[in-house]
Amino acid sequence: MINRRGFMKSGALALFAAGFGGVPGFVARAADNRKIWAPYKKNKVLVCIFQRGAMDGLMAVSPYADPNLKLLRPSLFMSPAKTEGSMTDLDGRFALHPSLNSLHPFFTEGRMAIVHGVGSPNNTRSHFDAQDYMESGTPFNKGMASGWLNRAVGLTGHDAATPFRAVSLTSALPRSFYGDNEALAISNLQDFAIQMRGTPVATHAVAQSFEQLYDQTSSEILNKAGKESFDAMKMLNVNNIRNYQPAQGVMYPASPLGNALKQIAILIKMDVGMEVAFAESGGWDTHYNQGTAIGALANNLRDFSNSIAAFWQDLAAYQDEVTLMTMTEFGRTAYQNGTGGTDHGRASCLFVLGNDVAGGKVYNNIKSLAKADLEDGRDLPVSTDFRSVFSAVANGHLKINDDKTLFPEWGGKELNLMKA
Amino acid sequence: MNLKRMAKTFAVGAVMTVLSAFAQTSHSSEPRIKMPYKKTGLDSRQAAAHLLSRFSFGATPGQVDEVVSMGLDKWLKQQLNADLPDDEVNKRLEGYNTLDLDNSTIVNTYLNPGQLIRVLIMQHLIDKDSLQSAGRKEYQDKLHTLMVQAGYKPMQDLQRELINQKIIRAAYGQNQLKEVLTDFWFNHFNVSLTKNQCEQYIQTYERDAIRPNVLGNFETMLVATAKHPAMLEYLDNASSVSNNNELVRKQENNIQQLRSKLQLRKMNNNDTTGEAGMRLMEQVMNAQKRQGLNENYAREIMELHTLGVDGGYTQKDVTEVARALTGWTPAPLYNNGIAKKITDIAGEERMKKQGFVHEGDFLFRANRHDQGEKTILGRRFPANGGYQEGMEILHMLATHPSTAKFIAAKLANRFVCDTPATALVNRMADAFLQTNGNIKAVLITMVNSPEFWDQKALREKVKSPFELAISAIRATNADIQQPFQIYAWCMKMGQRFYFYQAPTGFPDKAGYWINTGSLLNRMNFGLAFATEKIPGVKLNLAALNKKNNNFTLAYAAGNNAMISQVTGILIGSPEFQRK
Repeated sequence: MINRRGFMKSGALALFAAGFGGVPGFVARAADNRKIWAPYKKNKVLVCIFQRGAMDGLMAVSPYADPNLKLLRPSLFMSPAKTEGSMTDLDGRFALHPSLNSLHPFFTEGRMAIVHGVGSPNNTRSHFDAQDYMESGTPFNKGMASGWLNRAVGLTGHDAATPFRAVSLTSALPRSFYGDNEALAISNLQDFAIQMRGTPVATHAVAQSFEQLYDQTSSEILNKAGKESFDAMKMLNVNNIRNYQPAQGVMYPASPLGNALKQIAILIKMDVGMEVAFAESGGWDTHYNQGTAIGALANNLRDFSNSIAAFWQDLAAYQDEVTLMTMTEFGRTAYQNGTGGTDHGRASCLFVLGNDVAGGKVYNNIKSLAKADLEDGRDLPVSTDFRSVFSAVANGHLKINDDKTLFPEWGGKELNLMKA
Repeated sequence: MNLKRMAKTFAVGAVMTVLSAFAQTSHSSEPRIKMPYKKTGLDSRQAAAHLLSRFSFGATPGQVDEVVSMGLDKWLKQQLNADLPDDEVNKRLEGYNTLDLDNSTIVNTYLNPGQLIRVLIMQHLIDKDSLQSAGRKEYQDKLHTLMVQAGYKPMQDLQRELINQKIIRAAYGQNQLKEVLTDFWFNHFNVSLTKNQCEQYIQTYERDAIRPNVLGNFETMLVATAKHPAMLEYLDNASSVSNNNELVRKQENNIQQLRSKLQLRKMNNNDTTGEAGMRLMEQVMNAQKRQGLNENYAREIMELHTLGVDGGYTQKDVTEVARALTGWTPAPLYNNGIAKKITDIAGEERMKKQGFVHEGDFLFRANRHDQGEKTILGRRFPANGGYQEGMEILHMLATHPSTAKFIAAKLANRFVCDTPATALVNRMADAFLQTNGNIKAVLITMVNSPEFWDQKALREKVKSPFELAISAIRATNADIQQPFQIYAWCMKMGQRFYFYQAPTGFPDKAGYWINTGSLLNRMNFGLAFATEKIPGVKLNLAALNKKNNNFTLAYAAGNNAMISQVTGILIGSPEFQRK
């Protein structure tokens, strides 16, 4: 892995060429145009994790002090008491599920904020519609073609001199990334290469044939995408990825989320110009057999927590550049259902982790869980619009400032959770 | 609705039907095919190649020459008639057993997980406690066994057959234009397997509402989709309710009277008979009260299906159309559901008397319909229009000039280029209007236009992943024994067909399909396909290249690998991404 000092010593382009087996086209072009683009400049990176399936915010971060909760959830109620699951008390009102304990230090250190009662003003309880609205950033407009993260990338105003500006560690491009700005979906960095049954020499020859064909085609769009593909492939020297060693003492869970975050860490440390990264986490739709301190939700929360904690520790010197934010399309019912679980609700909670976050607090406008305060008599109502959090984090961390473009049709106020 | 009024409506309706039929016969005949490709400097071979590349899923080896010798006009006419025998497809679909089922059978055999759990609990085959203690895999296996024992089948079987048949028909169908248009119109009237409530209906939706109409009349297709359970569920019209309804008010009064009667009976003789039934009725009433108007379908039918987003409708129009379409619901088919029990008890006669309309799997529920007067696109619809009102509105939308333009533009986008010339679109829109939405007429008008044959339009479009995969199969005469594997690659390349969440359907723009990641996947697809690394793909490249001496020599030298790699490169090459 090329380190920054070595790079400085031997001079940019030469080392680049030596390390990557040829100067990637876009570097040469940038040099030609004398664009002010420093290949190894540290970028601010916003990492988003979408928990698909509707995470139960009321169990992840429980308002245990509310007397209504126990009545609503006779067998799913948890609190700091040993007999009730040994939750970790946060502020006398909310407590953290024990499976999330690896995130607790970030909370006490003031690096991590929790926002509760957050969600969408659109009360659809359809997973797919709600995800669509949250990712497009326009909860009442299905016709919005772009995703909010694609718009955010566009607003950073940096020259798109790298194919890695917006990267999603998923097989398909997520809705959040739809739009005019370049975005890349790679489910596995190690596979980001021409793959063929045959010898490495033959594969390399085939790759070169492809590269030439795409270089010569008269179709502008195929020509451009082809160049970027091969530039990206050259930058991602798969051997470096295969041999990657996380920072001392860091163990990523061997789970899809753990792997995704590890690869995001690799991309961050490779200084490839990434500004937005995206990962997904599934299995949150706990209608049946949710469990409490032990069980389906607890397992998911543990993987979630340990993956994020490992990621943060692995970042080491890059922590200042990164802010991580989680989100889920809606929450779950305040009451438990007849099969040991919870059904689709409204508000949930989310986590924001970063050195420029005013952490150590559970931001919320939650009244109570009395029936009169529940939406439709069943759900924790949305008292914080998700856009007020997304815009605050994106604006604060990526230093952009155009909410009209980022969240058209909103016109609301940002939540004050980032340090000035 | 009294007899006199009914007679009037019927009479008006009958007159309108006669008039429109008259209109159709005098204007709906299609223009003669007269393709001006010589004018744009193309020879017949180039023209045939272009025709095949746009109106089929890709030429098979030697097909360009076949079309030239047959005559381009004749080939196109054949494709427009779409009645060539499909022996290959039928052979490959042998053993598929969900493709001919009706909705009732499907709904009662292929349950979604939620329904399955409820049924099994009802039948005491599982209890809530056993659910709590089982681990996830154990739990799934147990469910599966119980499901099979109880006579149900898994939803995945239904989905797999739907996906596979699309691939088989596109790759091996003789009526290629029909397959291309089924893909196009399904996408236009998109529904998605991602939505639980409608997934069971998608098989029949494509088979009955879309496919038979793709080369027919636009309004017929629009109405077929508007009445199909898949669309009614997908865009939530099934649960859209109005409380501005006479029947509902009467029902509430009846319940009020019944309640008082029962209370009196209980007070006087401590008699509680009838209370359970009463509670059921109240439950249904309250459930209905909690629901409200849902504008989703009303908006999309105008924005996406007919007028287009700039078609000149307002938000008020959306609300009014939503009001008009209240009551348009899927007929209850699920035997274990309350809805079916209620309609069974009510009976056809009583429902008809109250203004309900039951047509196949469609049920117009008069007691959910907003009876008030409405104004839509400047036209006044008087109160109590009932079911006919909805039909008139669909007719108005289907024959509106904005619709003609919108549909013409979409077809031109699909078959000509991503930014079609205004003159061409206008010409096609005129054909649409003059023939009251005859799709063939619009297509012929398009093919008779020089813009279709413009050298700039040649190979200008980029194939979708599905089109790439099918064209690769056709170009190599490949034998696909596991169609699902092809679907898996389409997913990898970015097109999980049948699963596009939004009603807009997959965008038809090169920029949507081509990005850094997806292009790499296309190249890798080419290689995996050609080297038979995809399970179930059988190629005979030697047979294809019999006439090519270089290839023959290469094979003689045992260099199969090289041939496969070259084929792979060809499939992944930029030129093969274009059509």
